[in-house]
Amino acid sequence: MPDLSAERILTIAEAARIPIEPQSARRVATAVGPAVNRLTAAKLTIPFEIEPWSFMAVQQREIKR
Amino acid sequence: VTEPGLLTLTEAAGAIRNRQLSSVELTKSLLARIEHWQPALKALVRIEPDEVLAAAQDADAALASGETRGPLHGVPLAHKDMYYRAGKLAECGSKVRAGWTAPGTATALQRLADAGALYLGALHMSEFAYGPTGHNAYLGAGRNAWDLERITGGSSSGSGTAVAARLTPAALGSDTGGSIRLPAHFCGTTGLKPTANRVSRANAMPLSFTLDTVGPLARTAEDCGLILKIIGGPDPLDPTTSAAPAWDQARAARPSQGLTIGVPESYYVEGLAPETAKAMDEAIAAFQALGCTIRKALLPDQTLLSAAAQVIVTVEAASYHAPWMRTRPQDYTPLTRSRLENGLAYSAVEYLEALRWRGPALEEHLIAIGDIDVILAPVSQTAAPTIAETDVRGGPGAEAVIQGMTRFMRPVNYLGLPALVVPAGRSAANLPIGLQLIGRPFGDETLVALGSAFQAKTQHHLPVPTLP
Repeated sequence: MPDLSAERILTIAEAARIPIEPQSARRVATAVGPAVNRLTAAKLTIPFEIEPWSFMAVQQREIKR
Repeated sequence: VTEPGLLTLTEAAGAIRNRQLSSVELTKSLLARIEHWQPALKALVRIEPDEVLAAAQDADAALASGETRGPLHGVPLAHKDMYYRAGKLAECGSKVRAGWTAPGTATALQRLADAGALYLGALHMSEFAYGPTGHNAYLGAGRNAWDLERITGGSSSGSGTAVAARLTPAALGSDTGGSIRLPAHFCGTTGLKPTANRVSRANAMPLSFTLDTVGPLARTAEDCGLILKIIGGPDPLDPTTSAAPAWDQARAARPSQGLTIGVPESYYVEGLAPETAKAMDEAIAAFQALGCTIRKALLPDQTLLSAAAQVIVTVEAASYHAPWMRTRPQDYTPLTRSRLENGLAYSAVEYLEALRWRGPALEEHLIAIGDIDVILAPVSQTAAPTIAETDVRGGPGAEAVIQGMTRFMRPVNYLGLPALVVPAGRSAANLPIGLQLIGRPFGDETLVALGSAFQAKTQHHLPVPTLP
């Protein structure tokens, strides 16, 4: 994930048709930046076949434990 | 029975069942306690004294004629104001939902009613369950029964403080990023965040469809188990529960001897107040005395899990609220609106990567803990801070306090693990300190067994706050 900029947030907000003030976009960039940077630095590699519901398959293996 | 309102849920239900106490007597006792505390605590946003008294009379009449409706027959309970009842108000702590009546009834509430519980009232909450402190500029801040100038924790603010003050024997809360565990810790109650997909979320106000969980705050682990046994299990209205196992009472009553408890060496040890570290040390000794094996736990990077959870919650919350953010943004309190705007920071690909990684991350966690049954960790670095020092309108320092407060929450939500908070100490200012027992997926019963054994040997869950 790239570092956040206020411009990026304004672009996503416009695409979502949600009004947001430029100063709020700057605040969001500051507030959310650390989480984004953490994930960017981790360079997560998710296996190709994994989908969101893979979580439930892992979770349900524990029912029999 | 001296003061019925002081009984635990299990005790009260048993006393009614055995005809040592009537439902009306219990209800009147709780209403008297509410009348005493409510002006200062404002823990309830709506009370239904006439309706609940009538229901109590009906419950007593039923019992007299030999009819027992279930294990909670005649016990009044209040719940976070986000559990819908058909045709009744559910205002979710927000002006946006002021005057809104629900079209259906939450499965969790219906199951409690089917078990004989009565509806006492609706409890204070953070606006749309989106805040960890209990601040709510629309309703006024939640107030801690142990010190009215301190936070309750959120978002189940009213559930935490009302159970602490013995205004209700138990209450439903919800936990998406710590909203059961933080109020339990700060208010000195016991709280159980269940395994994800174990309790139906149908007709409960949503915040994040991936991470929301429905669970109880009560006085004891035993009471939490009683509630979870009733509300858990498959529900066609919430297909994520389709594989949820039935409650295993034998496992919930198992001896704690032989259980392995893991104690993290990193992350959960950072920034702890001395009194929190002391509570951890004393709890480790108590569990050793109970015959548990204590082992160091080397966990995967918790900061990554926390960051991924943040992506999911913020995007899903923004998605739910997008229609109102477009048309009535002024009706949100500024803090909630700014939190919702945080969801505009991520692309769809980034959100889905956070969602897809959840399975591999849980796999990695299970490999890391091996045969450890339960992880013991602090809930928060400190006991309850003041309402003023966590008010973000007061300056940038508040955000740092909140970050420290919530640091140990999100990894559990991301991995969908169950976690039980038990009171485990007191601060120098006599404020409660809780610890979290984090289980394996669907290991909720083991947590109840271990928490019950801990509470049988300790006194931290027993003190009752008094109104100054």
